Amino acid sequence: MLPKFASVIARTKDEALSWLSSLENPKIIAGGTDLMVKMRAGKHYSHVIDVAGIPELLTMTEKDGRISIGPAMTHARLSAEASIVRSARSLALACGLVGSPQIRNMGTIGGNLGNASPAADSIPPLLIHDAVLTLESRDASRKVPLEEAIVAPYVTSIDGKELIGSIEISPLRGYREGYRRVAKRATWAISRLGVAFAIREEDGRFTDARLAIGSCTPMPFRAKKVEVLLKGAPKNEATISEAIRMALEEMKLISGIRPSYAYKLPVLQGILEEVLRG
Amino acid sequence: MFIGQDITRVDALDKVLGTAAFAHDLKKNNMLFACVVRSSRPHALIRKIDVSAARALEGVVTILSHEDIPGENLFGAIKKDQPFLAAGRVRYKGEAILVVVAATEETAQRASDLVRIEYEDLENISDPFLSIQSPVLIHDGGNLLSHRKLVKGDAAKGFESSDVIVENTYSTTWIDHAYMETEAGLGYLDDRGRVVVASSTQNIHYKMKEISRLLAIPPEDVRVVQATTGGGFGGKLDVTVEGYLALAVWHTKRPVFMRYTREESLLAQTKRHPLYIVYKTGARMDGSLTAVEVNIVGDTGPYNSYGETVCLRAAVHATGPYEVPNVLVNSRMFYTNNPVSGAMRGFGVPQLALAHESQLDEIAGLIGMDPLDIRMKNALKRGSLTATSQVLNYSAGLLETLKAVEPFWRERRKEGPGSGFGLGCMYYGIGNTGISNPSSCYLTLTPEGRVEMHSGVCDIGQGSDTALLQILCDALGMEEMGIDLVRGDTDTSWDAGSTSASRQTYISGMAVCNAAQKLKKYLKEAGYYDGKPLKDIYSDAPDGSVPIFEGHFDPPTTAPDPETSQGSPYATYAFATHMTEIDVDEVTGVCKVVRVHAAHDVGRAINVSNVKGQIYGGVAMGIGLALMEEFIPGKSESFDNYYLPTSMDMPEVEAMIVEDREPTGPFGAKGVGEPALIPQAAAIVNAIHDGTGIWMRQLPCDIERLKLALEKNKENK
Repeated sequence: MLPKFASVIARTKDEALSWLSSLENPKIIAGGTDLMVKMRAGKHYSHVIDVAGIPELLTMTEKDGRISIGPAMTHARLSAEASIVRSARSLALACGLVGSPQIRNMGTIGGNLGNASPAADSIPPLLIHDAVLTLESRDASRKVPLEEAIVAPYVTSIDGKELIGSIEISPLRGYREGYRRVAKRATWAISRLGVAFAIREEDGRFTDARLAIGSCTPMPFRAKKVEVLLKGAPKNEATISEAIRMALEEMKLISGIRPSYAYKLPVLQGILEEVLRG
Repeated sequence: MFIGQDITRVDALDKVLGTAAFAHDLKKNNMLFACVVRSSRPHALIRKIDVSAARALEGVVTILSHEDIPGENLFGAIKKDQPFLAAGRVRYKGEAILVVVAATEETAQRASDLVRIEYEDLENISDPFLSIQSPVLIHDGGNLLSHRKLVKGDAAKGFESSDVIVENTYSTTWIDHAYMETEAGLGYLDDRGRVVVASSTQNIHYKMKEISRLLAIPPEDVRVVQATTGGGFGGKLDVTVEGYLALAVWHTKRPVFMRYTREESLLAQTKRHPLYIVYKTGARMDGSLTAVEVNIVGDTGPYNSYGETVCLRAAVHATGPYEVPNVLVNSRMFYTNNPVSGAMRGFGVPQLALAHESQLDEIAGLIGMDPLDIRMKNALKRGSLTATSQVLNYSAGLLETLKAVEPFWRERRKEGPGSGFGLGCMYYGIGNTGISNPSSCYLTLTPEGRVEMHSGVCDIGQGSDTALLQILCDALGMEEMGIDLVRGDTDTSWDAGSTSASRQTYISGMAVCNAAQKLKKYLKEAGYYDGKPLKDIYSDAPDGSVPIFEGHFDPPTTAPDPETSQGSPYATYAFATHMTEIDVDEVTGVCKVVRVHAAHDVGRAINVSNVKGQIYGGVAMGIGLALMEEFIPGKSESFDNYYLPTSMDMPEVEAMIVEDREPTGPFGAKGVGEPALIPQAAAIVNAIHDGTGIWMRQLPCDIERLKLALEKNKENK
């Protein structure tokens, strides 16, 4: 049963921000694919502010070599958006694998970030694209790297009066890029493990390799130490096995040993082998 | 000719247009809403129930406990051992304790949350292997519900004469039926003051009797109607909402509606029985089976439901569809405080198929024989003796199903590492095991000149209404389908038995044939076959009325011998072979089912599309059983964490129909409902072995179990 609540539909960003600062116990809703489930389970908000139709939150622009994504854009739209498919292939793939067609048609990228699930499919791709969030409130605006915005599973540093105004990412061209995910069935399943990767090679060397891993640690993480190791390293079995060793070490350092690692570590190892060998 | 044609289903248009009234759609003016307060403990005495806060809530009409039951509080299809409402003690988490009736559904739910219950916990017997040793008795008669022994020949001697013996342990877990429509219904008093219940159900006359006992009123004062039903698979055989609705109507004298949430259905309703199977098989170097010894331990939860049925059916089907001269089976079913397990598509036979099919492939591997050849060598055929020493006198088309897949099997090519092919065979006795399970119907004519068929058969989506009409048309030799179907209502039909055990086409189809014979004789004498219209036959009828023409059929069976289970428990058997191609990703443990060839001997396909539909659905359910479905008590709360296959997990399925006509069936037909599912999980497991070299003996082999097994296999190498 849903608890009782009032809802308003914001037509502009300013309207949403104004309500956000003035209404009691407010919550932003876009697609509602996470929020409605939580509310049905008993989570209560007095006011729900619908931002799904705000034009400013639905636009995508390219400026100064960065792509700005409107947070109310749905997974379905992002998975098919030409510039995302071209310059952030892992993100397009990940968005195309979220939940079911219904969830992809309703759920938004901003909502996926705001929910901050350890298994959120969009987060590892955004991490390798150096995503930065613009967080706006009625009186201020600030920019926060995605890595700093998520502070714990399902917890962000986004203030209750703030709204994700846009998500900026760096396009990657000339990279071998993708997203590998493992789930218990072919679709409509939460990821057991997700790996976003973008790799550039030249003359038998890794010139730039970006890796982010989801569903294994409290928050999806970018394997930066591994990236440093790989930068400029020759592409051979020794480099690859050292990189994988480091990635698994880094994961264990973050989370300690978890029962699920009996499954996840060997799977991650196998996927990283495939990804790095190309 | 209507038989063998793809007649559009009689229920298709209403369903496509959305006008069919499922139980969830039922309503009446002024109706109340009921919901059930359930136990939060697996095993406890109820010390105190405080309903004061719930009762004080505005809109609450009444809160009913076992003390408000005027008749008997126990129900059960096989044995009356399950209370409608717990009487001082709960035996599983989710057991019904109270029924709250209120003006709105929301109020009923809020009130049920306000009920306070104090429990005194008892030992939670969660392991069937420990159940027998426990001093705590779940029921007065002890914790062993049923022990069935099957003895044919001398198993010990059979093993002595074997060249190769294989012994393994297999286990399966709880599976939810996961029908699209959860349990629901509407109850009310009719203008004569009788209790009427319309619900989503697989049987109506059985439920009429249970309600009559519950309320201590004659059965004729109860009417049960089947609403359009969104799936059953065995889960809507037991009384669920019907009892609570009848009780609520009895006390409030108002219409009452109730429906289970998905979470409630998962928590409280019956599941497929988990079985633990120790299976020993002996064979000679030529592949012929010499002996089989099987020990089965089942967990029925705290109530029988269909536990005894599964115990017996598992025993008599334990060898699979093969001639085995020496057989010893011990099948035991224990009470526990786990979820109640009941009827589910196949009654234990899919679990046994996993075991006998894996065993056969392992034997074939050891003696260097092709899996198809070893099946052909041992296949039951006309004249064979089954494990119960029943002679198969008539339809027995296993070999034909093997031959149907043979070209695909011989030409199979592995695509690469992880690619594999597996076979699964099954046989399945149609109808209930070794007991009378009759069906009745009646026919008459209407003034408009149509034949009227009165049928108590519950079509739960599988298509029996259409199949029975096709049978009737051909039995009468009608050129057009001029039949009105009056169905699913205890007031207007006779008991056809439950829609279960793949029995309706065969048994109720024969009852229809029986009635049709009598009507045909009448019509012949009245000149119908010489061109006289039915309308005129009706109006010219002597005494101004056409009589009713009764149809009955009870399949000839014999009760299994109590010591050896020898006998003829079924009048006929269905046979099938599935060949499944899989692709295992050894990195992730994901097993993708790529292609299935499913050949079924159905005797005669009354409606080809319906038969194929059953096969596709059975394959889907088999994939769930093999690869992902697992109800974990306390953890599986919704479809968020109970994984069912989706259309994206479905392979290409080639359904192949084999027709070895059954002379005792309607136009040669047998059944296909459960057979469609039974061999699929076994075929998948054999294919996984073919692709990876690993035997998965515990179901489901989900991605984690499969990956861990692959890792272990790597270490061992």
